[in-house]
Amino acid sequence: MRALAITLMTALVGTSLLVAGDVTGKVTFDGKAPQMQRLRMDADRFCRAAHKAPVSSEEVVVNKNGTLMNVLVYVKGVGGKHTPPKSKALFDQKGCIYYPHVLAVQAGQQVEILNSDNTLHNVHTLSKKNPSFNAGQPIKGHKLMKKFEKEETFRVKCDVHPWMGAFIGVFDHPYYAVTGDDGNFTIKGLPAGEYTVEAWHEKYGTKTMKVAVPKSGKATVEFKYSN
Amino acid sequence: MQPVATAPPPVESTHHHEEHPGFWRTYVFSIDHKVIGIQYLMTGLLFLFLGFTLMLLMRWQLAYPTKAIPGEWFVVLPAAVALISAVIGLVNKRKLAVLVGGVFAGIAGLVWYMVSDETLFPQGIMLPELYNSFGAMHGTIMVFLGVVPLAVGGFGNYVVPLQVGAPDMAFPKLNMMSYWVYFVGGVVMLTSFFVPGGAANSGWTSYTPLANIATMGQTVWLTGMVFLITSSLLGSVNFIVTIVQLRAKGLSFMRLPFFVWSQFITAFLLLLAFPPLEAAAVLQLMDRLAGTSFFLPSGLVISGQVLDVSGGGSPLLWQHLFWFLAHPEVYVLILPAMGIVAEVIANNTRRPLWGYKSLVYAAVFLGFMSFIVWAHHMFMTGMGTVISTFFQTTTMIISIPSVIILTALVISLWGGSIRFTVPMLFALAFLPMFGIGGLTGLPLGFSATDIHLHDTYYVIGHFHYVVAPGTIFALFAGIYYWFPKVTGRMMSPALGKVHFWGSLVCMNGIFFPMLIQGLAGVSRRLYDGGAQYAHAQGVLQWNEFMSVSAWLLAVVQIPFIINFFWSVKKGKRVESDNPWEATTLEWQTPTPPPHGNFAGGVPEVYHGPYEYSTPNGSKDYTPQNVA
Repeated sequence: MRALAITLMTALVGTSLLVAGDVTGKVTFDGKAPQMQRLRMDADRFCRAAHKAPVSSEEVVVNKNGTLMNVLVYVKGVGGKHTPPKSKALFDQKGCIYYPHVLAVQAGQQVEILNSDNTLHNVHTLSKKNPSFNAGQPIKGHKLMKKFEKEETFRVKCDVHPWMGAFIGVFDHPYYAVTGDDGNFTIKGLPAGEYTVEAWHEKYGTKTMKVAVPKSGKATVEFKYSN
Repeated sequence: MQPVATAPPPVESTHHHEEHPGFWRTYVFSIDHKVIGIQYLMTGLLFLFLGFTLMLLMRWQLAYPTKAIPGEWFVVLPAAVALISAVIGLVNKRKLAVLVGGVFAGIAGLVWYMVSDETLFPQGIMLPELYNSFGAMHGTIMVFLGVVPLAVGGFGNYVVPLQVGAPDMAFPKLNMMSYWVYFVGGVVMLTSFFVPGGAANSGWTSYTPLANIATMGQTVWLTGMVFLITSSLLGSVNFIVTIVQLRAKGLSFMRLPFFVWSQFITAFLLLLAFPPLEAAAVLQLMDRLAGTSFFLPSGLVISGQVLDVSGGGSPLLWQHLFWFLAHPEVYVLILPAMGIVAEVIANNTRRPLWGYKSLVYAAVFLGFMSFIVWAHHMFMTGMGTVISTFFQTTTMIISIPSVIILTALVISLWGGSIRFTVPMLFALAFLPMFGIGGLTGLPLGFSATDIHLHDTYYVIGHFHYVVAPGTIFALFAGIYYWFPKVTGRMMSPALGKVHFWGSLVCMNGIFFPMLIQGLAGVSRRLYDGGAQYAHAQGVLQWNEFMSVSAWLLAVVQIPFIINFFWSVKKGKRVESDNPWEATTLEWQTPTPPPHGNFAGGVPEVYHGPYEYSTPNGSKDYTPQNVA
C-alpha cells in the first residue's frame, strides 16, 4: 500500500513537471544609458573608506550588452496556494549599499537582513500592505529575520545613510525573477497556459506582455525599455 | 512624650469607623493619610528602583556599545535585593517586606526576560530602539512614578497633616483615590513594555511629530499620563484645602514649618500646571487614534512620503503645552526636597532657620515665576529673539529665589551645634550638590550659550545634579529623619553612613563627567554614547567611568535597603516620641501616630516652628504646642 502511494506521488510530480514550462527572456535598453548620480558617502567615514572608486546610484544600471539590470519580472494573476520556500533570502548591507538592489521573495519566505558593515544601519521598509518597520542594526553581523505576507513591491531605505535605497518585491507565488548583469531572466515551473508577464523597473515603470507557456519547454519574451 | 502644657478639651470625632475595619480597609484601601503616605512611599521607591535598573542597563550600552551585555549580572542585583527583602520579611514577620521582595523579584524577572530576548538584544547588544525606549521610560518613571509620588504623595501625605495639627487630610477618601489612580497609571506604564513595538521611545518629552507616528507604546504612555496627572490633581486639591483649612489653633501661616510651605506651593504648581499637559496628552491621543492633526502640520514628509493626515497642526504647540507643565514640574521636584532639608537642618543645628520670612517669600515667588520661564527649554525652536529674550530674562530672575533659599539654608548652619546624624549628612550634601545643579543651569538659561549646550550631556548633568544628589538626597534625609516617627525605631547610623558616602561619591562620578561631555558637544539620547562622532572621541573615555560609578551606586543602595527593612522590626527602639528633640508638631504625637493623629486632641500652637536654643528647663528647644 505504501509502495503504491509513493509510486502514485512520483508519477503525479513527474507529470506536473512534464506539463510545466519556463519563461525566459531578457530586458533590453535602447538608447544611451543615463548618467547616474555619484553617491556622496562623506557623512560616514566607514562608508567613505569602504570604496576606493566612486560609487554611483543604481537607479538605472545598463549592462555592457545593452540590457537593463534590476528589473523585476513576474507572472500576474497566478491563483492557487503556493508554499513558500524554506530557504532564506539574503538582503545584505555592505559598504553602505544594499545587496541586491532589487530583491524578489515569496510571501511567507524568511528574509535575512544582514549588516555586514561595521557601522549603524537602520532598515526602514516603506511598505503599505505589509507592516512597515524601522529597525536599527548597530553592529557588524547583526541579523534581522523578517517575513512579508502580502504581495507588493516597496522601497527600503536606511534612515542613517540617505543614499541607500533598494526594493523588495513580494509575490504570492514562485514565478518571478530579477534581471542580473546580463539582463536575462528565467521563470521556471510554470504550468502550461496563457499568462500575463509584467516587468517593473523603479524608474521606467511597468511593461506587460502576454505569453503562452507550452506543456514543456520554454516560452521567450523580451521587454524593451528606453530612455 | 513631651507633655502638653495645657490640655485642650478632647475634639469630638466627626467621623465614625467600624471597630475593626479588617486587613483590606486598614492596609490597602485605607483613608488614613499615614497609610496612604506609606503606600506612596513604597510604590515610589519601587518605581525609583525600576527606573534606576533601566539606566543601569543603558549604561552598559554606553560604556561598551559593541560588547554583549552580561545579562546575569544585571539580574543579580534586583534578585539579591529581592532575596534580602523577602528573608528579612520572613524573619521579622513583616508582610510588606515579603511583598517588596516579590516586586524586586518581578523586576529581576523583567530584566532577565528582556536581556534574553534575541529580538531586543541581538547577540547581546541592546537595539537602538530599545535604548530609546529605556531612555524615555527612565525619565518618565523617575519623574512621574518615582520622585514626585515620594516627595509629595509620600512625605507630603504622611507629614503635612501632622505638622499642621490636623487629624487627617481634608478629604481622606479623595486621598485614597489619588493613590489608587496613581497606582493604575503606574501599571498602565508598566504594560507599555509588553505591547508590540515596546514602550514609548520618543523621550519623556514625547515631542511631536515623532511621538505621533511612534509605536503603540506611545498610546499606552499617553493613557498612563492621563491617570498620573489626574492623581496629582486630586492630591493637590487635598493639600491646599488641608493647609488652608485644617491648621491647628494658633498655627498661622507664618508659623508653619517650611516643609508645609514647600508642599503648599508645590500643590499650587501641580494644580495649575498639570491641566495643560493632560489636555495635550488627550490631543496627542486623538492625533494618534482619531485622525486629528493638532500637532501635525500639512505636507509633513516622513521617509520620503507625505503623511496622509488632515494637517494644519503645530508640532511646536505640543512643546509649549508640555513645557508649561514640565518647568513647574521641576520645581515640584525640588521644593519638597528643600522643605525636608530645612526641617533637618533646623533640627540638627539646634538653631532656628535663618531668614524664615525670606525663605517663605522666595519660595512663593519661585512658584509664581516657574510659570513664566518654560520656553527656556525651547530656545532652539526658532521662536525669535524677542520671545527668547523674555524667557531668558525670567529665567535669570528665577535663579534669585533659588539662591535666596540655598543661602538661607547655608547661613542657618552658622553658629549651630551641628549634629552629624545621617539625615543631616544628606541634608548638608544637598546644599553644594543643588548649588552645582543650579549654577550649571545658568548657561542653559542664556539663549546664546544654550545654542551650544542644548540637547547635550551638559543638560543631563545639570538636571541630574539637581534631582539625584539634590532631591533624592533630600528624600533619603527625610526617610532617615521620619523613620523613627513611623516605626518607633531608629535606622542604623553605620549602614546609613556607608549609604551616604557611597552615594555621594558615586553620584558625582556619574554626573560630573556629563558636564564635560556636554561641553565637548556630545548629544544626549545617543545609543552608543557618541562613539560615531568625531567631536566626541576625546571625551568618550568618561562613558566607562560613569557606568562603573552607576553600578557602584546601585551596590551602595543595598546597605540602605537592608537597613530600611531590618530596622522596621529590629532597629534600636526610640526612647521617646521625639528622639530628634524636634519642635514641629509631628514629633508631639504618639509613635506611631494613631488614627486621628493627636491622641489627646488637636494641639494648640504657641510658637513658630523652629524654637531651638530657647531656654526651656533642661531642654534646648520648645515644641510648637508648648506655651
